[in-house]
Amino acid sequence: MSKKFSVNGTFKDSVNTVKFLTERKSFINNAQAVLPTRTDDFGVNKVAKSIHPKEQKLVISRIEEHKALAKSYYFKSDVAPLAYFKAGQYLTFKLEIGNAVVTRSYSIASSPASALRGEYQITVKRISDGFVSDYILDNWHVGDEVTAYAPEGNMTYNPLRDAENIVAIAGGSGITPFLSLARAIDQGDEDCTLTLLYGCRTSDEILFKAELDSLSEKNEKINVIYVLSHSDEEGYEKGFVGADIIKKYAPDENYSIFVCGPGGLYKFLETELPKLQKERKYIRFEVFSSGKKAEEAKEYSIKVINRGTETVIKASSSETVLCSFERAGIEVPARCHTGECGFCRSKLVSGKVYIPEGEDKRRIADMQFDFIHPCCSYPEGDLVIRIN
Amino acid sequence: MVKNYDAVVIGAGNGGLVAAARLAKEGKKTLLIERHNLPGGFATSFVRGRFEFEASLHELCGIGSITGKSPLLKIFQEVGAADKMEWVSLDEAFRVITLDENEKSDYLMPLGKEAFIAKLEEYDPGSSTVVTKIFDLIESIEKTLDFVSNIEDFKPSMIKEIFSEHTEFLKVANYSVDEVLKAFGTSKKTRDIINAYWCYLGQPTDELNVIHYFTMLHAYIIDGAVIPRGRSHQISTALLEAFTENGGDAWFNTSVKKINVKNGAATGVELDDGTQINAKAVICNASPYNAYTKLIDEKEIPEKLKKEVNAKTLGAKGFAVFLGLNRSADELGLNNHTYFIYPTNDNRKCYELSKKIATNDVQATVCLNRAFDDCSPEGTSILYMTSIFAGDEWSWVSVKDYHKTKLSFAEKMIDNFEKATGIAIKDYIEEIEIATPMTYARYTDAPAGTIYGYEASKEDGIVKRIVFDMIDKGISGLYFAGGYTTRHMGYSPSYTTGDMAAKAAILSMEKEVK
Repeated sequence: MSKKFSVNGTFKDSVNTVKFLTERKSFINNAQAVLPTRTDDFGVNKVAKSIHPKEQKLVISRIEEHKALAKSYYFKSDVAPLAYFKAGQYLTFKLEIGNAVVTRSYSIASSPASALRGEYQITVKRISDGFVSDYILDNWHVGDEVTAYAPEGNMTYNPLRDAENIVAIAGGSGITPFLSLARAIDQGDEDCTLTLLYGCRTSDEILFKAELDSLSEKNEKINVIYVLSHSDEEGYEKGFVGADIIKKYAPDENYSIFVCGPGGLYKFLETELPKLQKERKYIRFEVFSSGKKAEEAKEYSIKVINRGTETVIKASSSETVLCSFERAGIEVPARCHTGECGFCRSKLVSGKVYIPEGEDKRRIADMQFDFIHPCCSYPEGDLVIRIN
Repeated sequence: MVKNYDAVVIGAGNGGLVAAARLAKEGKKTLLIERHNLPGGFATSFVRGRFEFEASLHELCGIGSITGKSPLLKIFQEVGAADKMEWVSLDEAFRVITLDENEKSDYLMPLGKEAFIAKLEEYDPGSSTVVTKIFDLIESIEKTLDFVSNIEDFKPSMIKEIFSEHTEFLKVANYSVDEVLKAFGTSKKTRDIINAYWCYLGQPTDELNVIHYFTMLHAYIIDGAVIPRGRSHQISTALLEAFTENGGDAWFNTSVKKINVKNGAATGVELDDGTQINAKAVICNASPYNAYTKLIDEKEIPEKLKKEVNAKTLGAKGFAVFLGLNRSADELGLNNHTYFIYPTNDNRKCYELSKKIATNDVQATVCLNRAFDDCSPEGTSILYMTSIFAGDEWSWVSVKDYHKTKLSFAEKMIDNFEKATGIAIKDYIEEIEIATPMTYARYTDAPAGTIYGYEASKEDGIVKRIVFDMIDKGISGLYFAGGYTTRHMGYSPSYTTGDMAAKAAILSMEKEVK
């Protein structure tokens, strides 16, 4: 090996090396003995915190009753803008109901721009066994303060991925993310067209009809078609939103399909959408949980480890692990309740769980090391779970 | 609530995980605290649709796929995590392409010393003699560093040995990469190719310390690089598993409000909910920047440390685009694993241009399927593009403009990739996620979205850090681990400093006992 290499000659090289002592000393000594910009004060960190606050306290400013057993809740914040979001995202609320601590998510119906004015709107519909929805409908009043986390969710328009024409299929209260999108388009915050195929049982159940009609009327990028399954009325399509209706109203150019609605709609579309022969990338569903097939519920117990503290709670084979946590008043950072967001990720120290097919959206290494998403895991025996 | 531990580790990033795993392995009662719900910090992954994306790792060195030299693997083995990890070896180093029409170039380089030299000879005939000499120097530097880092019991005779056996190291220690490469009489083309890795350190080679860069070349090109099958999340989770198996406590979704300092010594931490954790040692994987500006009472910070944090400059801010494509890598023609795409081969110019959103065209892009094709479902592929920003222009992007700015920069990166490679990818994007400096700030509390720790500037280069930043930091019982410390940023260095911090803490605890 060469031992002869030098840059400027051995002497100069050695001097240069010795120089680093003084260079370094003056580098530090010449600095002022004051702290630099605080991390929280950088614009980047401020924006990050503004879009993703840890939680938001929202005050109910108005409640609008709809015909279809639904209410819209309007929130107003006087102090600051609320967290900005993309049309299609949802808010997760944290509620204490009796001894239970629960989280539930509702798509934001208002436009992204209104969040900057300190306003949000969500719509809650009464549904069978809707424990939390019923609670909200019966207990939230104007002036109440409620707790929500930052907006989350991936059913948003992205021009780099989606076609610039969106055919949105909404069922029932699944209209809210598309109302937000329609408003965002109208306000110039999203640059796509929207063909909204809105399925309801009867015309009485249509939410936001006046506003949707007006948006459809005045904005050529927005077109709203109502599809009624249980009544034959003039001016409405009859039946379910399927391949035929989509073909009838979809634009000639390429389009993406976004779907949000109840489980029945998804089941129906499972056989309908393939008829359109579209690439998978052009079909996006708002995720939802199909739950577990009914069977005789078995009772189990879960030992929950949280920051070194152990608690034993009751569990059932017919309910998710997250549901057992909620009943027992154990607070976990859950958001989506569909296995997607990963916020509730916890370590399964021992025991077995069942995860419905298609709902296991865990990382490879999480499967390897037995981390689970409690929101879509059902106990198959006694469990030990470390949540924090 | 008050709890007592031997050591408390703030942050489960790469440095914190190794520190915690080492402490637990050595029987120290250790608490690891992480504000997020996942271990790893930047070393993580996320799922969108049918794709699992790597969040930050491009290639990992120190696992030793070619020469078997594997200092990092040794650490993983010692803390009991190695058998939980699965590696895939790479054989390609990089493909580097320039966008400048007047200076079009496109070089594809392999890993392995001989292969690298031979390929360079093809591109730049006649270069092999001098490049072989450069590799001799790279190996000679590595020997010096091995010698120094293996010193356990210092003897005065070692100084003599350093001056007689390690003269080359001593001669070049304070030069930049360019100064040394030019002294070898290299051609511009040879330098353009050898310097292609510059974006991994974020500093132009006219000031980047040569020891720093050559050490990295040794680690990648001579020793080889690997990819973890389960993404970097597999490494992070394996380290966490090893830690808890050895009795460590890990608390997630938990924030440290304050590092308690009394009479110049760290005594523990206070959590957001007021819980007090007393500990003999505090290992801080939060950056020293955050420690000093957020976690420690200003009156407890010695003047010297304030000067130090003020003197140093925050390094590159991150931006990344993650693409799940609905065609296979073969169908699309994505034949390479690592693509460096630069506006020009002049990396000083690249660096200056990277200060502005409008002019930054630097990208390092990975097609993970070229490491292992089953990383995504059949007929699909994963491509992720990373860019780095010098300066802090993102701090002037408002909330209202945020989504549009993010989208348009991502689109520019995709356009640049298509332009540089001639490969069309835009029509095949099934999933996309975009990370901005705000994203890194959100998940790790990184100041201004910094992902590269402090800049490896001339004044704060690696040799200066190793010599000076090791010295007592002024607050006893407080040890820093991670990308802002002596070894500079990067996966391997962060793991290494985590191990160093843990060992220093253990040594100090043992002295106390005596």
